Amino acid sequence: MYNLELDFLVKEIKKKKSKRILIQLPDGLKNRSEKIVQILEEETGAEVLIWFTSCFGACDIPLGIELLKIDLLVQFGHSIFLKEKEW
Amino acid sequence: MVETIYVPVFWGGETLLDEKALKYFRENKIKSVALFRSIQFSFKEIKEQLEKLGIKVNITKAKRTSEKGQILGCDAYHDSFFETIIEDSDAILYIGDGMFHPKALLLSQSNSKNFKEVIIWDPISKSLEILDKKAIKAQIIRRKRNLRLFLNASKIGILVTLKPGQQHLSIALNLKQKLEKEGKKAYIFLDNTFDFSHFENYPFIDAWVNSACPRIGTDDIVNLNQTLINIKEAFDPIKELDSLDIF
Repeated sequence: MYNLELDFLVKEIKKKKSKRILIQLPDGLKNRSEKIVQILEEETGAEVLIWFTSCFGACDIPLGIELLKIDLLVQFGHSIFLKEKEW
Repeated sequence: MVETIYVPVFWGGETLLDEKALKYFRENKIKSVALFRSIQFSFKEIKEQLEKLGIKVNITKAKRTSEKGQILGCDAYHDSFFETIIEDSDAILYIGDGMFHPKALLLSQSNSKNFKEVIIWDPISKSLEILDKKAIKAQIIRRKRNLRLFLNASKIGILVTLKPGQQHLSIALNLKQKLEKEGKKAYIFLDNTFDFSHFENYPFIDAWVNSACPRIGTDDIVNLNQTLINIKEAFDPIKELDSLDIF
């Protein structure tokens, strides 16, 4: 009963004209990657890659992926976070 | 940085407390709760349900979260929230699955005078669980040991990561300066994600200071032989040791 919001993602990917997407999932959702890749690739024509390992929180995003011409990162299971002021 | 979309993966099922859970509130004469949740679960239904029973529901916002009532794993300090609803409520109720977030609610009670267990309601398995300080006993013992060893360490390695939300280089530089004024030597180490098996490549380091996820210094330490503390604790380790007395 978890909502992966794939309809929303398909619309966003088409709007942004993203060509190469990286999806990142917490461990409990990693087995949904098969279905997510299938739907996003079929519906948008974009290439969809899967981040292999960690997805501890919204701060834990893969760095340097622009070197592989990835133009959109989709992280599941977390929401935007606000950076704490330096103390 | 590459544009990022976060999909919170909301739970579409019911969240309401069952009769067994309500009985726990009645039997323990709980008149007010500090309510928290992970982002997947709405607190609306449960808030209404408790208020109908005359229980006051207190909700705050953690400083780093985007939504009210939401808690992150890193909200593990007494100053992680805008309001002191834990102190001001009879009990703490967490809506969600797993132990990572509710353990943060235990850890955030250092410095508190009146420790409160966490009531966990998992809407998926429809189960109620009580998390008390026994759940973090091993972590607290190790944390106290590490703080004491850090006080006696002379060569310190400070870990900084490049992840957004972390990147605490300026705090690390401040700490380095402070430690070196005290006659210690500090080295700053940089990486994307810390793989602790690499600690053994730096045998000259007596103690490590972590500026990445604070749960490394509260939870992961149980599985580490090396001494590691969080950077927030490194500026005044004695005060930190005192604050852990509640556990």
